This record gives sequence, structure tokens and C-alpha cells, in this order.
Amino acid sequence: MEAPQYVAARVQRALAEDERTNELGIRVDVRGEQLFLRGQVTGNERRLLIADVAREAAPGLTVRNEITVIDVRGPGEEERL
Amino acid sequence: MRELRIAAVGDVHLDESLRGRYRERLDDIGEHADVLLLAGDLTRHGTLEEAGVVADEFRDLPVPVIAVLGNHDHHSNHPAEIAAMLNDAGIKVLHDDATVLDVDGVRLGVVGGKGFGGGYAGKCASDFGEPEIKAFIGHTKRIAERWRVALKELEADRRIVLSHYSPVKDTLSGEPLEIYPFLGSYLLAEAADAEGADLVIHGHAHAGTEKGVTPGGIRVRNVALPVLGRAYGVYCL
Repeated sequence: MEAPQYVAARVQRALAEDERTNELGIRVDVRGEQLFLRGQVTGNERRLLIADVAREAAPGLTVRNEITVIDVRGPGEEERL
Repeated sequence: MRELRIAAVGDVHLDESLRGRYRERLDDIGEHADVLLLAGDLTRHGTLEEAGVVADEFRDLPVPVIAVLGNHDHHSNHPAEIAAMLNDAGIKVLHDDATVLDVDGVRLGVVGGKGFGGGYAGKCASDFGEPEIKAFIGHTKRIAERWRVALKELEADRRIVLSHYSPVKDTLSGEPLEIYPFLGSYLLAEAADAEGADLVIHGHAHAGTEKGVTPGGIRVRNVALPVLGRAYGVYCL
């Protein structure tokens, strides 16, 4: 059986290198039969695409998509330097 | 001298699916800021189609817009074309050079470019060994030198360095230590400290933190969108 560290590394590379995602900022963890994705993206479409690419790179694992979608708020308070 | 309000954001990673989403947060930017700085990674894959979305989101704003490109904007090997498209939309793109704006009689100078990696003092790549390593660190060294010269020649009342990669470790806190050399280089901070600046703005480190300072005491702000969690930060100088 392939060590989980190699599976996680393969998924992380796929997310970075696959043209559909090119996503560098997602944390990938494999625990048993589960693959966890964590991080932040700017839209739900991208969140789902990342899970698709991860699933293809690690068939047989259950993908737990814990990526959150950032809601871009107004500028908030200014800072005086 | 009048206070300047600097709005800044990076890593917006726009593509067709996000068209119009960012723009709706910018309509009242004139009430909050005098200028908007974009700290790179404006696109997802660096395609011309995505650059078109960026141009449309940031064109014709009530404040001037100054940008640098990021590593994502280089991915499809069209950085010059992307910069030209943004320039055509009225967005000034810096490529290791400077621009000076007049804001009600106050000269705001901005120096910058993409920057690059290499790591931080004592734990960084050196110009030694294989040609591939020399090319990697040589790229950063050349960039830092161009920034130093641009800062030396800059004549302005307020001075900002705008980068994609981070010049300091402070604002990387939250990122894995192992990837620090790919997130920035101390050579960029050294250039700013040597010639002086009032503020350094960068992006790239999505899991980092907003506030830091260079070894010479210049304030650094990581404005990557996931770090800010708001449309842009506003810093008053």
C-alpha cells in the first residue's frame, strides 16, 4: 500500500500543476481512507473543481472538502502608520 | 503635508467565473483611498482571457491603480502582454521600476515588481553550485538591485515598495517554514532598507499574516486577499 504521505504529495502537486486548478495554497492530509482538503478560495466553483482534481489524483479515497469560500467584505477600518 | 490613504490588495486570482464580483466592492473606493495598489497574482493561470477580466474589474476607478504581476500571472508565459493589457486599461504596471503620482501636491513614489524567492538571512539559497541554483538566486539578486537603484533615484515625498513576494518572514507567520524560500527573499527588504521607504506592500503568502516590519524598521503589510479577508486594506501615511 502506498504511504499516505506520497498520496498527499501527489494530490498537492496535481492541484498546483493541473490547468483546471493551479492552486498552490491548499493543505492536503490523508488519514486512512479519507483525504482532507483545507484552505480558502474565492468562489464555490473553484472549491468544487479542486475536489474533482484531488479525487482524480487519489482514486479510492473519500474526499472531505473542508475548503472555505472567502466572502469579500468592504474595506473595513483604515490603519494609520 | 496631506495624509495619503493607500488601498492595497493582492492575490485576487480573477477569472471569468469571478467577473463583476470584485468590481462591486470598488465603486466607492474614492471615499476610502487616494490610490489602489495591486500586489500581483491578479489572474489564476496568467492567460490573456483572465487578464481581460482583471482589466475590466479595475479600469476607470475614481483613484489611480498601480500593479505588479505575480507568479500566477507568469504561468502562461505572457507577462508582457498582460502588462500591456492592464496599461491599456489605465493600470500602471511596475516591472522593477518606479512611478510617481501627484496627490493634491504630495508626490507619492512607488517602486516595485514581482520580486522572487530565495529565503531569509542565514537560511537562504546562495549564488553557488549548479547553474539552476545560481539562476534562481541570481534572478532575485538582479531584481533587488534594480529596486535599490529605482529607490535611490526616486524623488517623492512618500515612498512605497510594491512587491508580490515577501521581503520579510514576519508576514509569513502561518505558512509552513519549509516553503519560506519560495515565498520571498530578504534581499528585497535589504534594498528597501538601504535606500529608505515608508511602507512595503506584498502578497503571495495566502496563509500568512498582515503585519510585519523590515530589519531596518519599515512597516510591511501582506495584503493577500485570503489574509485580509476584505476587499482591500487601507493604510494612511
